[in-house]
Amino acid sequence: MREVTERSFVERRQTDWLSLEECLGPSVMQLLPKQIATLAQLYRNACADLARAEAAQYSAPLLTYLQELVGRAHARIYDLHAREKRQRTVRFQDVRATLASFAVAVRTHHVAVWIATFMFFGPFIFAALYTWKHPAFASNFMQPDDLRNLADAYAEGFEGGRAFGTDAQMTGFYVNNNVGIALRCFALGVFGGFGSAVYLLYNGLSTGTVFGFITANGSGANILTFTIGHSAFELGAIVIAGAAGLALGWSFVSPGELTRSESVRRTGMSVLTLVFGAAIMLLFAALIEGFWSSSGIPSEVKRAVGIGNLVLVLSYFIFAGRKREA
Amino acid sequence: MLDTTVAIETPEHVLFHYRLAGPVQRWIAHLLDLLFLAVILIGLAVIVAMMGTVLGVGPDAGQLKLQKELSGTTTGILLLIVFFAQWCYFACLEAWKGTTPGKAVLGLRVVTLEGRPITFSSAALRNLLRAADALPLTQFMGAIAPAGLISMLSTERSQRVGDLVAGTMVVKKTERSNQGGVLVWPPPEPHELAHIPDDPHLSPEERTAIELFLRRKKRLGPARERELAEIVLPLLQQKLGHVPHDPARALGLLYHQAVNAGRKDAPASSRNISGHPTPPPPGRPGRPHA
Repeated sequence: MREVTERSFVERRQTDWLSLEECLGPSVMQLLPKQIATLAQLYRNACADLARAEAAQYSAPLLTYLQELVGRAHARIYDLHAREKRQRTVRFQDVRATLASFAVAVRTHHVAVWIATFMFFGPFIFAALYTWKHPAFASNFMQPDDLRNLADAYAEGFEGGRAFGTDAQMTGFYVNNNVGIALRCFALGVFGGFGSAVYLLYNGLSTGTVFGFITANGSGANILTFTIGHSAFELGAIVIAGAAGLALGWSFVSPGELTRSESVRRTGMSVLTLVFGAAIMLLFAALIEGFWSSSGIPSEVKRAVGIGNLVLVLSYFIFAGRKREA
Repeated sequence: MLDTTVAIETPEHVLFHYRLAGPVQRWIAHLLDLLFLAVILIGLAVIVAMMGTVLGVGPDAGQLKLQKELSGTTTGILLLIVFFAQWCYFACLEAWKGTTPGKAVLGLRVVTLEGRPITFSSAALRNLLRAADALPLTQFMGAIAPAGLISMLSTERSQRVGDLVAGTMVVKKTERSNQGGVLVWPPPEPHELAHIPDDPHLSPEERTAIELFLRRKKRLGPARERELAEIVLPLLQQKLGHVPHDPARALGLLYHQAVNAGRKDAPASSRNISGHPTPPPPGRPGRPHA
C-alpha cells in the first residue's frame, strides 16, 4: 500500500500527535474542556496512524514513537483506577470500613492465622517452660555475655525510667528491626510458606527462651511488666504477618481451580491488608515499647494498661466490621 | 527480538509492543537507587553529627547531657529514615511515578501485565517481596538477588518473584522520533535516479540495514563509509542493477527510491479533527514543523 512519503505523513499528522501528547501530561482532571472533547478522537486517529505507518513500513523510530504515544494514551484512557483517584471526599462510613478492613481480613484468613498462632506460641511456651527449668538451654540462642547483660538489664526494674534520647533511639531501633522482621516473615512465605514457618518457629523459640531465662534468674515479674504493654501488638503483628506469608505460600501449593500464577496474584493482593495492618500494629508496639514500657510508671499501672491493650486488640479482631459482613 | 518484547492489543485492535528490561539493566538500575539512597543517608548522618558537635562542645555536665539526649533522638530518627528507605522508597516512587530515579536513568518503567500503570498495592507487593528475591542472602537490600535472577531468567516476561506475585513487569523506553525517516543528502538529482530501478522491493530487513547505515553516515569517515557500503552492496547488486562508482551514495539513492518512489509528497495540511488547521502548540521549541 503506497500512499504518501514518510516525511509528508509526519508533516500532516504531527500537530495532532503533539496535541495528544499535551493531553497526556497532566492528570485527566486538569485538562481543558476542549482537550477532553478531542482526546478520544486524537487517540483513535493516532491508532489509525500507527496502523497506517506499520502497513507502509515507515522507519523504526517513527513506529516506536507512535507505539509509545498510543501506549501512553491507552494507559491513560483505559485507566481502571481513574474513578477512585477522582474520589477525594472521604465519608465517615468509608473511614470506618477502612479501619475495620484489617480485622475483617484477619477473620477471612482465620485458618492461616490460627496455624501461625500455634507455630509461634507452641515453641514459645515450650521454650519458656523448658528454659525456666534448664536455664542452660538459653545458650543455644545467645552468647553467654549477652545473656548476662540481659539478666542484669531486667534485674533492676524500671523505676528510674530512661532519658528521652534513649527512648527515641530505641523506638527507631524497634521500628527498623521489628517491622523489618515482620515484613520479611511475610515475604519469605512466597516459597510454599516455608520461610514464614521458619521465622515463626524460630522467633517463638527465641522469645520464649528469653522469657524462661529471665524468669529462672528471678526477674520474671520485671520482664512481664516490661513486655505486657506492647506484647499484644508486637506478637500479634508477627503472627499475622506470618499468617499472610503462609496464606501466600499455600495459594501457590494449592491453587484450586485457578492457575498457580493467578492464584498467587489474587492471594497476594488479599493478604496485603494483613501485612499493612501488621506493620501499623508494630509501629504502635515500637512507640509503646520505647516510651511507655521502659518508663518509671508504677508496675501496677503498666500491667493494667497492658491487659487493657490485650483486650482491645482481641476485641478489635473479633468484633470490628461484623455488621458489614452480615 | 521476539523474546524481549511483549505485545499488547488495545480495544481498537492496535498492537503495540513493550520492550522488556533484562536482568543486567535492572540490576544496574537497582544499584543506582541504592547509591542514591546511600548518598542521602550518609549526607543526613553527617549533618546530624555536625549539629551534635556544635551543640555539645562545652565540658560542663548540662551540655553533655543535652548532647546525649540529642544523639539518641537523632539516631532514632535516622533509624526510622533507614527503615523508610528500605521498605517505602521503592514502593512509593513506583506507585507515584511508575519508576524510581535509578530506573529512570536507564529508561525503565514498571507496568502491569496489561501495560497499564501500576497501583499502590502492586507497587507495595512487588517491593515487599524484594526480601524473597534476595534469597539466599538476607542483607545488602537486594544488591545481589540470586532468587530474583533465576526467576527473571526462567520467566517469559523476565519477572522476578515480586513481579510474579504483583502481576507486573519492567519495560524499557526505546529510541523514538516523530520526525520521519532519513533524508538522503544532498537531495537526489533526476539524472542520478535514472540508474536506479523505479520500484526496488526491499525487504524490511534490507530497509532497516540501509537506514541504520544512513543514520550513522555522519559519524563515519569517508574511507570507513565506503568500506561498509562495499560490504553491503553485493547483497543488493541485483536490485540496483548496475555497479556504481560511489557505493555509499548508491545505497542512499536505492533507499530513497524504495521509500519515496510512487508516494505522494502531499502538502502539510489536510487532516485535522476540527477541520481547520491548528497551529503547533506553544512552548515546544526545537520541533521543526516543515
